[in-house]
Amino acid sequence: MDKQIKPKLLLAKMGLDCHDTGITTLAYLLRDWGYETIYLGLHNSAERILQAAVEEDVNVIGLSFLSGQHLVQTEKLLIQMKEQQLQIPVILGGIIPRHDIHTLKEVGVAEVFTPGSMSGTIADYLKKLLDSA
Amino acid sequence: MSVKDNIYSSYLKGEKVDRPETPSGIPIKEVYLPDDIKDLDYEQDLGMPGEFPFTRGVYPNMYRGRLWTRRSQVGFATPQDTNERLKYLFKEGQTGFTLTIDLPTSYGFDSDDPICEGEVGVTGVALDTAEDLEAIFDGFSPDEVSCSLSIRPPVSAVTLSMLALLAERRGIPYSNVLGTQQNDPLFQMSGGPLQTTTQFFPLDGIIRLNQDIIEFMAKNFPKLNWMVTNAYNLRETGLSAVQEGAFALSHAFDIFRRAVKRGLDIDEFAPRASFFCSCGIDFFEEVAKFRAMRRIYARTLKEEFGAKNAKSLKFRSSMQTAGNSLTSQQPLNNIVRTTVEALATIFSGLQSIQVASYDEGLGLPTEESSRISLRVQQILGYETGVTQTADPLAGSYYVEALTNEMEKEILALMDEVEKRGGLVECTRVGWLEQQIIDARVKTQREIENEEKIVVGVNKFSIDEKEDADIRIHKINAKEWGEKRAEYLKKYRAIRNQKETDEALAKVTEVMKTDQNIIPNIMDALRAKATLGEIHEAMREATGFSFR
Repeated sequence: MDKQIKPKLLLAKMGLDCHDTGITTLAYLLRDWGYETIYLGLHNSAERILQAAVEEDVNVIGLSFLSGQHLVQTEKLLIQMKEQQLQIPVILGGIIPRHDIHTLKEVGVAEVFTPGSMSGTIADYLKKLLDSA
Repeated sequence: MSVKDNIYSSYLKGEKVDRPETPSGIPIKEVYLPDDIKDLDYEQDLGMPGEFPFTRGVYPNMYRGRLWTRRSQVGFATPQDTNERLKYLFKEGQTGFTLTIDLPTSYGFDSDDPICEGEVGVTGVALDTAEDLEAIFDGFSPDEVSCSLSIRPPVSAVTLSMLALLAERRGIPYSNVLGTQQNDPLFQMSGGPLQTTTQFFPLDGIIRLNQDIIEFMAKNFPKLNWMVTNAYNLRETGLSAVQEGAFALSHAFDIFRRAVKRGLDIDEFAPRASFFCSCGIDFFEEVAKFRAMRRIYARTLKEEFGAKNAKSLKFRSSMQTAGNSLTSQQPLNNIVRTTVEALATIFSGLQSIQVASYDEGLGLPTEESSRISLRVQQILGYETGVTQTADPLAGSYYVEALTNEMEKEILALMDEVEKRGGLVECTRVGWLEQQIIDARVKTQREIENEEKIVVGVNKFSIDEKEDADIRIHKINAKEWGEKRAEYLKKYRAIRNQKETDEALAKVTEVMKTDQNIIPNIMDALRAKATLGEIHEAMREATGFSFR
């Protein structure tokens, strides 16, 4: 990875869930760790996220769910990515039950961060993820 | 060995929890003395409980006269499922409930709208038709059971109409209907207010419906409270106690001024105005916040609005323990946190308490976790004796000094909001949004550098595998969505479509005027129009489109 260019993260909420404390906070704090973050706001469709991801040429997509829509909405995004043959790692954050984390990883989600995760932990993970890519 | 050494040496040095200021940034002295409250005038600044300026509470004997209402949030899946859960909780001693609706309903969509895939019945109950509310109230009467409808305009214009229709169909006079209709145009959704407010409905339309609701309730429902500010959700976005107090009150006064401008008498609508606040984990700051809010409210209503009815001056509030103080790590610890918060609320003399479930950081409450929330209140109410005297902390050098400080800070921030054109304007231009984001980032930074300790998260944590495996509320979004879609299909098939269309056209027509629209929404519901269709009809009038 070119050290001069900051890695880019696209953060977005999908569906009707509007709990945005975690994701907006993370969008700010990851800048301290050397990342460029774009927050797309609430209520995004899979199409809109992928369009932005391609236009902005992002390295990672981050989604946040706190109201139980993580399985349905993540699946929508992953299916569209497959159709468009896009290979961008997707990470998740929010209130996600343990047994669903397993399911999400099986269908292709790179990592899931639950409440209490520190921005430094997430930044370390991202560094490893991007270095290995 | 090194761990032991650390504990031992810190014990020798004296273990310190060094945090010399409240979370809102008010400095805390090591000890408070009579001198710290030497300017306090009992009559003017405190007054007897039940007397102006109501710092000591809005009733003379507080909980001796009547224990607080023990609510819990209920609402999931279909109206029938929710009704079953309600019957269970009332059997266990609950005395009121807050009806939580799902996200599609919160935004004014029918369950079968494609935008709602995977969302139906998940965060609350799906409510599409007048008959749905009747199903929820099966076995309950709205003149006997206090229900707080957790809904905002535009949607609350429809749910209030549903409630009015329910009373009519059961032969209950409007004047006997109890409960609370939440009516906060800005802060009902759990997130930054800007996008949640304006994404699916125009802001001006929302404010207009808010005023229609106030007018309709003031004229017809003397026992139904209307919730002015959902300060709970506002606080949950990450704000401090001072910000919660200031923004909640600024918001209320902004809405009141609009209602007065519309021609309503302050004493006509203020007596039923109520609030819903949060109680965070910082015990004394919360107690001081509530006492300061009551004093500011009473003085403003009297001095600025010229209210004459004593009921108009009373800041009445329900509360919920702060969801954002809970952790998903070691979840049973949350029972301790909510207990402390509920106790602070009792010392603050609020009217209704809702204890968050300990599993809130993991999912929606189960029957067991809801029951524990109720038991927390029953133990505090029946066993501890803290209910037997009004405002027990009054006169404490610290509590009174902190109440004064909180009042000063809240007033200063309210002044700033005023200079910026009021809270609706502050929300519209994104100023409030920035305040929220700044507060969130500040709190998280404090947690990350351990200035702020969260037990089980940045201190005293355990390995994830050791954490208690608790039962979690199961989501069947697909099944619930299909059930509701089928129900709506049948509902629409057997109605008189011409009648429905005419009633909806009338809603569009009246939305373009400044007539009160509630009677027309009731007509549309009678003609079996659904909640989503009524919203489309109102949107059409404003030329607003989002799809």
